[in-house]
Order: sequence, then structure tokens, then C-alpha cells
Amino acid sequence: MGAEAAAEVETKETIRSSRLDRNFPKEVMKHHGGEKLLLCYLCGSCAGGCPVGRLTTDYNPRQIVRMASLGLKDEVLKSNSLWFCTACFTCTDRCPQGLEVASIIRVIRNLAAERGIVPQVFKELGSNILETGLAYKIPELRLKKREEQKLPPLPLSDTKAVDKLLEATGFPKMIKEHPKKEA
Amino acid sequence: MPEKPRIGVYVCHCGLNIAGVVDVKKVAQDAKSLPGVVMSKDYRYLCSVPGQDLIKKDIKEHKLNRVVVAACTPNMHEATFRKVLEESGVNPYLLEIANIREHCSWVHRNEPQKATRKSTELTTMAVARARSLEPLVVKEVDALKSVLVIGGGITGINAAIDLAEMGFQVYLVERNESVGGRMSQLDKTFPTLDCSTCVLGPKMVEVYRHPNIKILSYSEVVGLEGYVGNFKVQVLKKPRYVIEENCTGCGECSTVCPIEVPNYWNMNMGVRKCISLPFEHAVPLIYRIDMDNCIKCYKCVEACGARQAILFDQEPETVELNVGAIVVAIGFDPYDPTKDEQYGYGVYPNVITGLEMERLLSAAGPTGGVINRPSDLKEPKRVAFVQCVGSRNLKRNPYCSRVCCMYSIKHARQLKEKHPEMEVAVYYMDIRAFGKGYEEFYEQAGREYKVQFIRGRVSEITEDTKTHNLIVHAEDTFLGRPMELEYDMVVLAIGLEPHSTTDKIQEILKIARSPDKFLQEAHPKLRPVDTLAAGIYIAGACQGPKDIPDSVAQAKAAASSVATLLHKGKIRIESIIASVIEDACTGCGKCLKACPFQAISLDQTRNVATIVEAKCNGCGSCAATCPVGAMQLRHYKDDQILAMIENAVP
Amino acid sequence: MAGLRYAFFLGCTIPYRVTSYEVSARKVAAKLGIELVEMQGFNCCGLPIDPISHDAMLVLAARNICLAEQQNLNITTLCTGCAITLRKVNRMLKENEELRETVNKHLKEVGMQFKGTIEVMHFAHVLAEDYGIEKIKQHVKKPLAQLQVSEHAGCHFLRPIEYAGFDDPEDPTVLKELIEATGAKYLDYMDKTNCCGFTVIAIDDKISLQLTGSKLSNMQDVGAQAVVTVCPSCFLMFDVQQPRIERAFGRTFSMPVVHYTQLLGLAMGMSAHELELDTHRVAATNLLGKIG
Repeated sequence: MGAEAAAEVETKETIRSSRLDRNFPKEVMKHHGGEKLLLCYLCGSCAGGCPVGRLTTDYNPRQIVRMASLGLKDEVLKSNSLWFCTACFTCTDRCPQGLEVASIIRVIRNLAAERGIVPQVFKELGSNILETGLAYKIPELRLKKREEQKLPPLPLSDTKAVDKLLEATGFPKMIKEHPKKEA
Repeated sequence: MPEKPRIGVYVCHCGLNIAGVVDVKKVAQDAKSLPGVVMSKDYRYLCSVPGQDLIKKDIKEHKLNRVVVAACTPNMHEATFRKVLEESGVNPYLLEIANIREHCSWVHRNEPQKATRKSTELTTMAVARARSLEPLVVKEVDALKSVLVIGGGITGINAAIDLAEMGFQVYLVERNESVGGRMSQLDKTFPTLDCSTCVLGPKMVEVYRHPNIKILSYSEVVGLEGYVGNFKVQVLKKPRYVIEENCTGCGECSTVCPIEVPNYWNMNMGVRKCISLPFEHAVPLIYRIDMDNCIKCYKCVEACGARQAILFDQEPETVELNVGAIVVAIGFDPYDPTKDEQYGYGVYPNVITGLEMERLLSAAGPTGGVINRPSDLKEPKRVAFVQCVGSRNLKRNPYCSRVCCMYSIKHARQLKEKHPEMEVAVYYMDIRAFGKGYEEFYEQAGREYKVQFIRGRVSEITEDTKTHNLIVHAEDTFLGRPMELEYDMVVLAIGLEPHSTTDKIQEILKIARSPDKFLQEAHPKLRPVDTLAAGIYIAGACQGPKDIPDSVAQAKAAASSVATLLHKGKIRIESIIASVIEDACTGCGKCLKACPFQAISLDQTRNVATIVEAKCNGCGSCAATCPVGAMQLRHYKDDQILAMIENAVP
Repeated sequence: MAGLRYAFFLGCTIPYRVTSYEVSARKVAAKLGIELVEMQGFNCCGLPIDPISHDAMLVLAARNICLAEQQNLNITTLCTGCAITLRKVNRMLKENEELRETVNKHLKEVGMQFKGTIEVMHFAHVLAEDYGIEKIKQHVKKPLAQLQVSEHAGCHFLRPIEYAGFDDPEDPTVLKELIEATGAKYLDYMDKTNCCGFTVIAIDDKISLQLTGSKLSNMQDVGAQAVVTVCPSCFLMFDVQQPRIERAFGRTFSMPVVHYTQLLGLAMGMSAHELELDTHRVAATNLLGKIG
């Protein structure tokens, strides 16, 4: 069978050593907010209080942390559920081991984005920021209406500075290009 | 006249601990050429019997009069090697230890060459000191064959009885009105489900009746002076406003008393009269008036009648006890979960703690053993237990409180026994059923009594404001799905914390605390009931969370340790103490102020400082303070230290 | 307190879709004597792209903080997302030397340096702490005694406790006090500290609608006559999305959604029109009927 189909079968099978990347947890821990990844002792306090988790079995923060600490790199980076976190920080507040759970999920999202996995909405928000400095393209009509509302004119963003800063962090290519599939 | 030093140097391999990093043969070889050294060897494990025998043999054959051991920290084996010297007829203080393990091989693992050089330097310094060491006199002082036991719970009681049986006079000081402690608050004990009072009661009576035990109840230790073998303890007897000798425990005063106050023994869930006993089987059976709430109606005085036991203006009394040793058994306090707001304790009426559940289950408790939930006093049909409250939490107490799994399983089983149709669930992270019969008890609770175990730490508890039912939010981690199940009552399995009086006791006795804030034992493996303060022992939950069997074991261990210390009636005291060069002393008195143990006094006639040798702990503060160098610390005299410094730089 | 001046960080959502919040806030601030100074050249706080690149968010947030440092003013903002982002980054850069150096290296390219001289506070936090509840009460001319309302504080107002820190996330009281200061009755409701789900509406709108819908149900169950919000994004969920939620839940809410600044404005005697209450999707007519 083809490579993709084989990969699909593998994800449904028992986890074997070949699927684990022992360096992945270290990679997560190197990023800000991800330092305490391996302190997790799987108590489930995060999942027990997660507002999204209670609505869908597709999302479970403890499982995401577990996949990352085991080294199931491909699976966690490609998972759809990674993007369901609303960043409400309830998990972070409740964790008895002091893990910033929401930040760990954000780190894994960042790592996914580095590999070209970026949901459409972020591409749009990102290009708006690159173009105007703000996350939304505000229509001319809106800007004009401010006068009627007796609001001061909207201070325009310094897009040159914004672009320069974002360029330095490598952001533009993350939302524009379609990088080759990660090996 | 000082003899010519004949030093034997022994460099230990300590297996690979030292030899794995340091070239021990080279160190031994290099030491051969040092002045005063007659022989220098390396050996695999010097502390072993053949190792010690080797040193003994060499002392005899080569007439060694000083020994340098380059090995692990003196904390480990200084005493061992001192004994070797003593048994060989050499003064034990003519030993010097160079720490080439903790201070060298263990911390410089990646630099063997530098570590070897450092070991040689440390050994050179040790040899230099050994040359100037002087023999010290080994002194003994008389020791009192009496013991103070602080705390009258199961631990204190057992320690007291064992000591009394051995013939020691025991003073048992208990801050509450009755002995019995936390065990008296328990209904049944795991895993046998023995009735706690049935086991504890006879012990309480035994401790009360024993001719060698004097109980000072409703009393607290407020001061300590002296030294091992000869402690002077000040004990404050708090006023009961009832004369002990006159009270017959008849209870007629209580019957007529019109005032009710919360009863701490029932975790403030029940009341007691203003003049009352904390519980019926209190020992000693003496009543007490809660003077803060007493309205002085004199009804009790009337009822007491001819016994005349009530005295409204009774004053606190301080007594002084002279004892040879002290056993601290002050126990624990339950963790207060009010600050864990996500659990709602103190806000939702039907969330209670494990100790409160214990009182509810108890026939002598506020509900007579009937399980009612606080909001409507109805019997709950669904009860959840939440484990690890306040424990295993880096934001609260990081340690595991050891007994909560077992006590919750006990409660769960008791509920199911009384009400088989009740839904009982235990929400846990891990079940710790470590003791004898514990795993079987846990297994039986699930298999036979159908207690439900859900693996997932509870994230939060919310309340239906109309019914006061509770919703437990947790993930069933084995299923991988979050759950929000409804219960009528929730019991928080709260952890154990050091008792609130630990701060005060620590200050008075000058003993140490561990990082988890419990009292610290002298060595975690080998000396679990000693402290680093001579003559002071700790036992029971004050040393760390533990169950009754372990508390009793420690109580017996402490009693045995005390007996070992005191049974000869004499104690050997530390020889490393301060000494005054009287000719040089100007009588300025600075050393008196520096001494933390009040061991120095000024001889007014001769205007020189004098040392109370038995009180001196050899800390050296006085020697460091003396502006003219008249105060010297034996074994650490200036010339001995200077010799090391001079030889430190090759 | 006379003399309170802040750099006013507008963020992206308010000028885009929720100008009623800005209008009411400016009017209330003016009357209270709080000066809101424009931040020329500001950019997005960075929160929307944090999931993609944390570094990108850091530089965007840091640039805004630098702008305020140049003005020598503390930042206040009406959006809880902007508030927590700028506040968190401000503190992280103040405390973490390594991070500060990395970010300053980038900022140097645009002629800026983070110095760590200012603070960031949400406007409600400013009112409660810097201005003072008692002083607010003095400005209340028409106490809203007939009104009973509930609040949706929102996740970023309360959490994470380490960075937000001015209210108790398990038992919050700041908004309760602010609402009661207007004379309105405050109603507690089940799961009030829960999330509205706005941040994932583009990922799975069912989740967001469900989250907000549950809250609306719980509020309706206790008899709340309006929801008070302090964030434009949360506002969009409760107000603009309300009809969709009603369809999904099969239940009518007709629950007017009010920015806190509008509530306060009404209590201070301003008209619903000048506070732009009539621009909301869910009609506030019932609400206004009660205040007379």
C-alpha cells in the first residue's frame, strides 16, 4: 500500500519505538512556556476543568501533553485537536505541578506552524497584520464613520516597523509559503 | 611533653566512589614524604572490619600515635575511626579526616587529574593538623533517669509506657485536656477496622495508672535549659478553673450548665457545655471551663457542692521538670482546604473533610454515627471522595501524606457497609496501599463492597445552588474523557501538616525542620528517631505523615534510644569544647555575649571567663570573638587551624 | 482622581467592529476625569498570531509597550486579550534578562528598546483600583436599581493568576463591585468563570456557540436581564452571535449585552443613544424600559 495509507494504518496500531522521537520533548522544553513538560504526572486536573474538553471528545489537553512527552511528534503536530484550545488558562491555574499547560499547547502549535501547518484563519489575520499593522482590515467607511461618532481618527500603524520586526522573527514565510512535507 | 608525631595515613577507595575519580594510590604515595608520616597506604573500604583491623594492626606494629584517614565526610565515620583509635589505646582525638569524597571525588567527577591533586592537598593539610593535635580528655556527666514526653497521642503514650516499664520516671505533657490525640478522633482504624477507642482506651488508662508516669494535661512546654542528661524544662499548666484533685468526674456540673460551645474534638461540628469534658472517656477525667464563654452563673458550683472543685480565679502555674532526655511526639494538623477555592470547602455546605467524615461515622460523634449531609441533614445517596487535597501539589504541599488513600478507602467501605445501595466513588491519582494488609483491604473494597474507583485528579467542584448537590469535574484518565458527575456529598481527603505548635517547640528545643517542614531526623535511613540535638528524640507524625503502626514503631524506637542513652546513669559528653588560657584572659566578657548556649560565666574574683563544660557545644563562637586569643576551642586551636592553612598552598 | 492619564491601547477588534465600546469608554473616562492619550502608530498586540509564532507576538507586544514608555504613561485597554498579552509580555521582559536581550535585539532594528518602566492595566482594573469604587459611586446620578445583571468577565480578565492577578479566578469580585457601584443588582450564576470560546470560532464554531450558549442559559436561569462584558471579542460572541446560538439551542434568550462602560454611563446619567446602545444586535429596549 502507499506511504500515506501505511502511515494511517500505523497510527491505529500499537505504538512502536519507531514512532517515537525522543528528542521531541526536549525541543518543546527549550521553548518559553514549555519548560515543565516532563513534570506532568497525568493527574487529569487540566482535562477535568477544560471548557472545550467537556464539549467534544476530540480535544483533551492531557492527551496532547502526553503525546508530546512520549515523543509522538508526527501525531501531535498533525492533530486537528491541537487547534481547539481557547487559551482560557484554566488548566494552567489548576495544574498541581505548575505546568503552563496552555503555553505548552501554544509551543506545539508554534512547532506545527514551523512545519507549514497553519489553519487558514491565522494566515488571514497574519497577512492583515503584515499589510496594515492590525489583525483586521478596517474598511474606509468605518474609518470615516469615526468622525460622525466624534471619535478621534484611528492612529495608523507604522507598518514599516511592524514588517521589519516580523521579518526578523521569520513570521511572514510561515503564513505565505507552502513548505515541503516534513521528513 | 609533646611526643614526636608518628602518623599513619590511610587513603580509602570507597569502592569506586573515590577511586573512580581520584588516583588513590598516588595520593597515598605522595603522603609518604610528608613530615611526621611513618607510613601511608590505600585501601578499598576502610570503614569495613578488615579495614579497621588494618589500622589497628598498624598502630600496634608501627607504634602510630596519630592517624589521618582520607575518605568520606567525617559525618559518616569520624566516630567509627575514633573508636578504632580508642580500642588501640590511642586517644580518639588524635584522628584527622580529610574529606576527599563529598568535597572532592563526588563534585569533580569530570576532572580526575585536578581531583587527585586536590586530594593530595587536602591530605597534606590533614597531616599538618594531625601533627599539632592534642589528646583530649573524655569526660562523663551524671544523667537523670527521667524523661519528658511532649505529646500524649498514641505515639507519646507508647513511648511513655515503654520507658516507664524500663524504670524511668516519665513526665507526659499534653496540651489538650485529655491524652489520646488524633487516634481518639478516629472511629475505626485500617486495615483491620478495629474500633479505635477499643485499642487506644486501655493504653490511655495504662498511661494514667502507671506509677512511673506523671501526666501533665492541659499543659504546654514553654522553656528549656540545660544539656543532655540534665535538662530543666518549664511547663505551663493552663488553668481549667477546676481543681484537679477535687474533681471526681461525676459530670453534674455539665448537666446544669446553660452554655454550649463548639467542640474542637468533633471538628466543631458538635457542641459541648461550657464546663465539660472534650469526650466521655477523657483521661484524665477532669472537667474544664471555657472561661471565654462562661457567664459565671454559678450553677456548676452549686451542683458540685461539697466537692468544691470549681475555682473561677485559678491561675496558670509554671512547673519545672528535671529530665535526662526528651521525646517529641506532637503529631500533626489536618490540611485546611479553604484556600483551594475550586473545591468549595467552606462555601458549599456539603463539601467536608476526611476528619469531619471520621466524626460523622463515629458513634461518639456529633450525629451518633448517622451519616447526614450538612445542608439538609438528609442521608446522602451518592458520595465522592477526592484524593490528594493539599498534597502532591507543588503549589501547596509537594509531599504525599501517606495515609489518605487508606483512610478514604476505609470511609468508603464503612459507608457501603452501612448503606449498600449508596453510590460511593473515590477519585484518585494513585492508590498508595503500602502496608501490611493494605492492598488486600483496597482490593476488597472494590471487589466485595463495590466502591467505585475513578482515576483522575479532581479539577473543580461546582454546586447546584438549589439542591446543594455537587458536581465533581474530573477526567477519567483511563477512559480519556472528562466527566461531571453529580453527588450529594463530597469528602476531601485532606493531607497532613506539621502541628501548629511545631514552630514553638522548634524554637524552644532548638531542633531542625526538614524541607517539608516536619521535624528533621538525624539521618533519614539510620537514625529516624534521633535529632541532631543531643538527648532530644522525635517520634510519630511530627517527623512526617504516617499511620498508627509506624507511629507506634517510632515510639518504641525512641523509648529504646532514650534507654540506650540514659540507662547507665552517666553520659559521655563532647570533648571538643572551649578552654580559657587564663593568663591571657582580660575579663572583657565578650565571649559570654557570643555564646548561644549560656555556657560561659565570668569569675568575678579572678576576672577570667570560665566554661560550664557540659553545656558547651563546641561551636567556637567564643573563640572567634575573643579579641586577645585567650579563648581556644580544643581540637580547633589557632595553631592547629593555621597549620592547615599554611599547608594548603603547596 | 484628577490627573489620571493613560496611553490608550485600542487594539484591532474595537475599531473594526465594536466602536460602541470605545465611544462609551471615552465618554465615561472624560466625565470621570481620566485622560486617554492616543498611541500613535500602535499595532496589533500580537495575541491572534501567538499560536503561530510566539516570537512574532513578543515583538508586536513589545513595540506597543515601547510606544507607551516613550510617552511615559501606563497603558490601559478595553480588550482583555490585549490587556493580558501586553501585561504578560511586560512582566516577562522585566523579569527574564535573556528574553529581554533577544527582543531588544529585534527592537533595535526599528530604533526602540524595552526599558520596563510602565505597567499595563485593563480599564476595569483602572476603575476599580486606580480610580476607586467609592469615587465611581459619587458620579452615579441615576442608580440602576431596577436592573439585575450578570457579568461575563472572560478568561483573559481572570487568568492565568500569575499574570492577571488582580482578581481571584475561582471567586472573582472586581466586576461584581463595579456593577454594584452603578446601583444595579448583581446576579451570580453557574460556571460564571467559564470561557466564551471566541478564540476558536474559526476552528470549530459549534464549540464556541455551545460555550457561550451555556453561559446565556445559566444567566437566563437566574433571571439576569443583561450580560455585562469587558472585552470586544466576548461581546461579539454574546451579542452578534446570539441569534445563531438561539437557533442552535432552540431557545430564546433576548438577552441584551452591555459593555461595562455603557452600564456605568447610564448610571452616570448619559443616554442610551449617546452610549451607542442602539447599535447592538440584540435590542436593549427591555433593559432601557427598566431604567426609565
